[in-house]
Amino acid sequence: MREKIWNQVKVGDEYSFEMKDVNRSSFVRYAGAGGDFNPIHHDQTFAEKAGLPTVFGMGMYTAGVLGRVPSEWFGPTSIRRYSIKFTSRIWADDTVLCHGRVTKVYEEGGVRHADLELKATNDKQEDLIRAEATVRDWQP
Amino acid sequence: MAHIHPPGFPIERGKIHEFANSLLDDDPLYHDLDAALAAGLPSVVAPPTFSSAAAFFPDPNAQGMSMKGLDLRFLLHGGQELVFERPIFAGDELHSEPGETTSWEKEGRRGGTMKFIRNEMIWRDKAGEIVLRIFNTLIQTAGVVKD
Repeated sequence: MREKIWNQVKVGDEYSFEMKDVNRSSFVRYAGAGGDFNPIHHDQTFAEKAGLPTVFGMGMYTAGVLGRVPSEWFGPTSIRRYSIKFTSRIWADDTVLCHGRVTKVYEEGGVRHADLELKATNDKQEDLIRAEATVRDWQP
Repeated sequence: MAHIHPPGFPIERGKIHEFANSLLDDDPLYHDLDAALAAGLPSVVAPPTFSSAAAFFPDPNAQGMSMKGLDLRFLLHGGQELVFERPIFAGDELHSEPGETTSWEKEGRRGGTMKFIRNEMIWRDKAGEIVLRIFNTLIQTAGVVKD
């Protein structure tokens, strides 16, 4: 799959996209899809009682959005490893920049692999998630 | 009314479609069965973090996080590592079992001593083959941590 990318990929290659318009509905839609109904992520009254200005998004929501970097870039079947560290919370009205960079290209067991470093940052240049992924030229 | 949960985690096309949409991901391999079949796949693929939806399908083992002895008021989810043996496809029926748990302590700058707990969950398909390993890291802090 994605023969072209595997013939071209080299260390230092980059891929990024911006996710605008993250809002409360984004978190609610993810709650419905992923099942995390912790009210801290959708209920303003609950959030205020917990001393927060507003609701914040699930860490795994941001991880899912950042996961689009390896999957769009190398294809959904390429993911071998995805390792994430949560560093800051995502808030409604954030713009999220998702970025990936190739750190290593190699062969293992006759299969082409690449290691990536990934990052999701908000428009205040704070890291939301730092992550690593390994992708491979997986064949059905 | 009590919530009723089937055992295991059935991977369904509709749920994959809904999950990918919530991430605004329009890759046809998540949404379009014909595109997936044309690519030689058995069905549509699950996005990388789709397994997080399983935490809310409470297979008695599925949470995988032993909360014993932890103070839930000061518990953070530090991170997660997913290791795939193969992609997950619609039609898979996955079951999970707990793997190893390791823990260690570290002096934190913001909240006193921090205890790290890393749990492993092993996911197998109907044939008993390992599909995915999930490692969650929980951080127990001594008190409230500010961003």
